[in-house]
Amino acid sequence: MKANPERRDRLRLTGILILSFLLIATGTLWAFTSIRRGDIGGAISGSIIALIILIFAFFVFTRGSKDVKQGYPLEDERSKRVMEKAMALAFLATLYLLLGIGWLSEDIIKFRDVSQATGAAIGGMAILFAIFWLYFNKKEI
Amino acid sequence: MKTRIKELRARYNLTQEDLAKKVGVRRETIVFLEQGKYNPSLKLAHDVAKVLKTKIEELFIFEKE
Repeated sequence: MKANPERRDRLRLTGILILSFLLIATGTLWAFTSIRRGDIGGAISGSIIALIILIFAFFVFTRGSKDVKQGYPLEDERSKRVMEKAMALAFLATLYLLLGIGWLSEDIIKFRDVSQATGAAIGGMAILFAIFWLYFNKKEI
Repeated sequence: MKTRIKELRARYNLTQEDLAKKVGVRRETIVFLEQGKYNPSLKLAHDVAKVLKTKIEELFIFEKE
């Protein structure tokens, strides 16, 4: 039996909302615990991740619920292709970012530990994904 | 790539929103299709051609580079 597309899209929107809330809560908790430990780098990383997810989730949720209400699908073949291209390029660029972080951490940037460097890489990947998504959303594909 | 979507859509009095709903895509996809900025899948090209009562080869015009 084929699922009702509108119901499926509404379920997906609810899933996005719950996942976003959990990620924002994690980023905020990370930032608060970092502040308590006096770790400014961790506080900034946590805040940036939480903020990016908040902006992205707000945009996706408001646009998505408006579209579903008007009878449009939440995603179609073009939006899927944009997402796939942005994800693939963000993944590839993150490999270079990790390489850069590895080189820079030798002398220029002093990370407290591996988790702080990992946080910077995850934050960087989120920013790269947002940039590539915006780029491919405007570009001919 | 050029398309005749806009011309045929006007002939059948369809808005971009109407066409998007009929073929089950988002409105932006129709906008990009009309501008020739999106290469659709064979299925979407077929669906659009069917709604606009034409053939795929008459809907999409490929220019030699």
